[in-house]
Amino acid sequence: MTKIHVDALVVGGGIAGMQTALDLGDQGYQVALVEKEPSVGGKMITLSKVFPTLDCCSCITTPKMSAVAHHPKIQLFTYCEVDRVDGQDGEFTVSVVQKPRYVNADICTGCRLCEYECPITVPSMFDRGLGSYHAVRVPFSTAVPQIAVLDIEYCLLCGKCEKVCPVGAVDFTQTPETFEIDTTSIVLATGFEMTDVSAKKEYGAGRLSNVIDPLMMERFLAPTGPYGRVLRPGDGMEPTTIAYVQCAGSRDETLGIEYCSRTCCMYAIKQSMLISGALPLAEVTIFYMDIRTFGKGYEQFYQNAKAMGVEFVRGKVASIQEDENHYPIVRVELTEEGRVVERTFDLVVLSLGMVLGDPLARFGLQPAEDGFASLPSVNASPWATTRPGVFVAGTAGGPMDIVDSIVTASAAASAASAYIRSKTQVSIEEGEVAYV
Amino acid sequence: MMPTETSSLSRGEMLKRLRAEHGESVERTQQLLREQKRVQQEVCKSIREKAKTVPEIAEELGMKPADVLWYLASFRKYGLVVEEGMCGDYPLYRKAEEK
Repeated sequence: MTKIHVDALVVGGGIAGMQTALDLGDQGYQVALVEKEPSVGGKMITLSKVFPTLDCCSCITTPKMSAVAHHPKIQLFTYCEVDRVDGQDGEFTVSVVQKPRYVNADICTGCRLCEYECPITVPSMFDRGLGSYHAVRVPFSTAVPQIAVLDIEYCLLCGKCEKVCPVGAVDFTQTPETFEIDTTSIVLATGFEMTDVSAKKEYGAGRLSNVIDPLMMERFLAPTGPYGRVLRPGDGMEPTTIAYVQCAGSRDETLGIEYCSRTCCMYAIKQSMLISGALPLAEVTIFYMDIRTFGKGYEQFYQNAKAMGVEFVRGKVASIQEDENHYPIVRVELTEEGRVVERTFDLVVLSLGMVLGDPLARFGLQPAEDGFASLPSVNASPWATTRPGVFVAGTAGGPMDIVDSIVTASAAASAASAYIRSKTQVSIEEGEVAYV
Repeated sequence: MMPTETSSLSRGEMLKRLRAEHGESVERTQQLLREQKRVQQEVCKSIREKAKTVPEIAEELGMKPADVLWYLASFRKYGLVVEEGMCGDYPLYRKAEEK
């Protein structure tokens, strides 16, 4: 079995994992970065713009994606899953499974001829199922690495991709391979998922075609989105009236999610401003319990949205149903006026919250009460888990936005660096690591 | 990138094994392909001469509008269909010129 020795293993190639890997690599440590998807980039590469600056997400993310792939101290392993973590106290052995791409990664040039030849079209998970790609494809246009992957569950085994590949990279003989990484420290940056849309029956449980989640709206607003514009997915109409339902997956005892997800107010405000730019005639209404704008420049961003004409209505949405033409009807209790009203919209966005992405058990960690990684000293060292030598970055530790994910990623890298030095007596001179 | 292990079986033997292991998904995908080809032909025929909206195509073909939009998004991505103006709040789609 192949074995690799590194100073730090970073699990997860989203914005937090990439930042941690780059910080550690820049300090001269040998780093392995393991990502379960065929490309790094995480959720952030699917987003349109960031708040509160409205900078393009791709413009921030793609340089980091490229940097981790080309960094001399970082070994990048995409389409790999961590299976098990053995050892303790600075001597970890991590078992990793390389999933078969059915494409030889060493010779694939990313030309996409296989993709264009593949006859079958499947829902694109990059576009939340609303767009499409082929069973064999480069995952998305800015994917890193630019290597095709074949989805065997949708493959006809017709061999057309194999015939058209100019370098003979399609390889049906690949099988899963397990390899081991020996490492002194581990940083978990395994990210988040959105709260389950089907859990809230009062809001249609995900069955209403014109009630969408915020990551779908991100794809509509992105230039590479599935429709190339904002359309409602039920029938392709350009929406004129759009509602946001805040706290649709957070601060809700009925869902067992009592915490605030910390990002929903800001992404709803951001999306409403972007919609105003994309659809100048659109009227956006945000139904909210409280608006929480705690970060640098966030309150001003909120005030700007109000000045642009976004309507903020204080109230708790009780239910969402649809009329015979699939227009969503929002029934809301206006808490300041003490009455209940119903309003019909073209499109409704549920401001879903965040839950932990990948289970923690294989890393030997127990979740905290909120389901995220347990952080025993959250005020003094919010990167430290219950297992010495295992650190956490980004949303694996709790809900947070991109700014805070990057801050915690650099904090985790710093803590991991100190830990590695305490365990291996590493001395760093001129950026190189030497063991003494 | 970790080089993926290759089976000691030959390509032919491996394909045979994959067909046996994934027989169910291959059959399901074959049905899906037949359906996709049928829809592609019908949609392209419908919008060859005249650009139409999603609800118009859906009504003509007896399909769900959401499904028509998914197909049109796919056809647009791969250059089979182009947008051609608006009809009210709905974009119009027409079959792209043959290259």
